[in-house]
Amino acid sequence: MQAEPKSELKNRIFIAIVVLTNAAGNVLLAVGMKQMPDFDNTSVMGYTASLFTNLWIFFGIALLVVWMVAQLSMFTWADLTYVLPVTAGGYVLTAILGKFFLGETVSIARWLGIALISFGVVLVSETPPHDTGDDQ
Amino acid sequence: MKWVWVLVTVLSGTIGDLVSAKGMSLHGELDDFRPRGLARIMRYIVTHPLVAGGIFCNAIAFFSFMALLSVSDLSFAVPVTASSYILKTVCAKWYLNERITWRRWAGVVMVAIGIVLISV
Repeated sequence: MQAEPKSELKNRIFIAIVVLTNAAGNVLLAVGMKQMPDFDNTSVMGYTASLFTNLWIFFGIALLVVWMVAQLSMFTWADLTYVLPVTAGGYVLTAILGKFFLGETVSIARWLGIALISFGVVLVSETPPHDTGDDQ
Repeated sequence: MKWVWVLVTVLSGTIGDLVSAKGMSLHGELDDFRPRGLARIMRYIVTHPLVAGGIFCNAIAFFSFMALLSVSDLSFAVPVTASSYILKTVCAKWYLNERITWRRWAGVVMVAIGIVLISV
């Protein structure tokens, strides 16, 4: 059975939500974790308290909850082997964000990786989202 | 020790994604984005045993990945766990009955190799 989702627009919006909330959530978590006290030098209570009161970590986790719900929602109309590669654009986004906002240098190997992931995403996004072998 | 965390991360992440995708596919296509519809899908997510169980497995994968990061570098942890893309694709064929056309296979392999190149 090959079936298009009822709305191609809905599919695209959800891909964007999954990619953006995952990349942004990870960046916020990373920033928050860098502000955390050294684990070995604090009590468990103190560490947990600073974990729950750090706004970066709070919003990072909130975004990752949205990411999870959006990805699960996509599974109601799309295959796992469609959703996973198509939403891998987050890796590219994170690398590019790192270059422009954190001043990281992007090596030739890294550019090659970005190009490969992008090709992979395009290749899979041109397959039908839902494609089970029922008609075979 | 780090290979134990690699194994736990890859296996629990794979089981988590397969099982929660199965659970969600049993729900009809989500099409109601009014507050009531969103509340209904949220309730389905937290109460359906396959979906909730899948989330639990992914939580284990998340924390074991954190444990892996504490004993290895990001440049080891990220490319090694990218192998889960291949494992998930193989398993989706028999567990979820998905048809993996050559386009999908090529895309998945490109993404996995690309992740290795980006992180090493």
